[in-house]
Amino acid sequence: MSALGHYIEEEGIATVAISLIRPQTENTEPPRALWVPFELGRPFGPPSDPAFQKRVILAALRLLEREDGPVLIENFPEDDPRAQPDPAWQPPFIPTAVSAGPAETLASRLETEILLLIDAHEHWIGQHGRTTVGLSGLSVSDCARYVADWLHGRVPPSLRDGFSAPLMLRFAVDDVKAYCLEAAAAGPAKPSSRQLGDWFWSGTGAGAAIHALRAAQLASEDDRLKLIAGNFMVPAARVRSAG
Amino acid sequence: MTRLTDLPPTQAKRLAELECPDFETRPWVTGPALSQRRVAIVSSAGLVVRGEMPFRGRDPDYRVISAATKAEDLLISHISINFDRTGFQEDRNVVFPLDRLNDLANEDVIGSVAATHYSFMGATDPVQMEPHARELAGRLKRDRVDAVILPPV
Repeated sequence: MSALGHYIEEEGIATVAISLIRPQTENTEPPRALWVPFELGRPFGPPSDPAFQKRVILAALRLLEREDGPVLIENFPEDDPRAQPDPAWQPPFIPTAVSAGPAETLASRLETEILLLIDAHEHWIGQHGRTTVGLSGLSVSDCARYVADWLHGRVPPSLRDGFSAPLMLRFAVDDVKAYCLEAAAAGPAKPSSRQLGDWFWSGTGAGAAIHALRAAQLASEDDRLKLIAGNFMVPAARVRSAG
Repeated sequence: MTRLTDLPPTQAKRLAELECPDFETRPWVTGPALSQRRVAIVSSAGLVVRGEMPFRGRDPDYRVISAATKAEDLLISHISINFDRTGFQEDRNVVFPLDRLNDLANEDVIGSVAATHYSFMGATDPVQMEPHARELAGRLKRDRVDAVILPPV
């Protein structure tokens, strides 16, 4: 982020920022920045494309050798090839997609889908050697159970020191999302983030359960819970209109 | 290709108009050729090492990420959910390009890679981050870092 560039450079170390939001960088005026035309979340562009990533980082680092600043804000000229959908991608098989229904049904469906996706997720781990499930500190089935408890109208205590119950819920939701999206991307195809998001938020019971959880907690009298449910569970672009 | 015009209008407006501090200086530090620089990553993606405390809300401090941290032990705990995480799930270098820095060092394009890297959580008010960033600069100097790349998320 560009403001950090000011502070660190004032302390005597040269910096170069990557910029995803050009107007923000223009306002902040860091010593040096490279604007990249990639989606939020991908400052170095496509995953599993070392040559492309290297071109991005080198274009940024080369700004350290320029003498015509401050302020330097340059543009990276290439688009992310992985932003395009892959027509060969097929989502994992989940029988009878559920997009809405009573909270109890969605809670049960969520827990079932976690089991249905085990093979696909193990395939993912075999392919990439890693999972990003882990913020909650729980297993993904325990995350699903924790989320299901909330859907059943209970308020289960936090299961980790240092987390309030609403924060525990937020990280459990994060882990469920990470697990499902990793499972969905297993295999040789290279789905775009939009393909994966369309599938998760519109084609799975897990997505429907998180939508329902958000809607239910928005009616809570706990302002902190309302804030977390409203802003930190369903991406703004995926929020369903009321009704 | 994704630009602000691809985001929901309210999100795009909020991001473009985020307030930033009114900086009174225009710092500009020069240094040796890139091939002699020691480079560190200071991310604002809310990165944490697995098992450590994630960023909670808008914590203004930073987390320490050793260069020896395994790819499977790096997680994103940024407060915002309005950005793609699937790229990072597949390849940490999309957000945290440590392998690419190592490539560049092996090719003698840069001098070396820092022993330690860092992450803030970028949705925090920069004014709250300032004392932590200045303290971090001291750590970077002790690691002989003379070039910092600042990736957002």
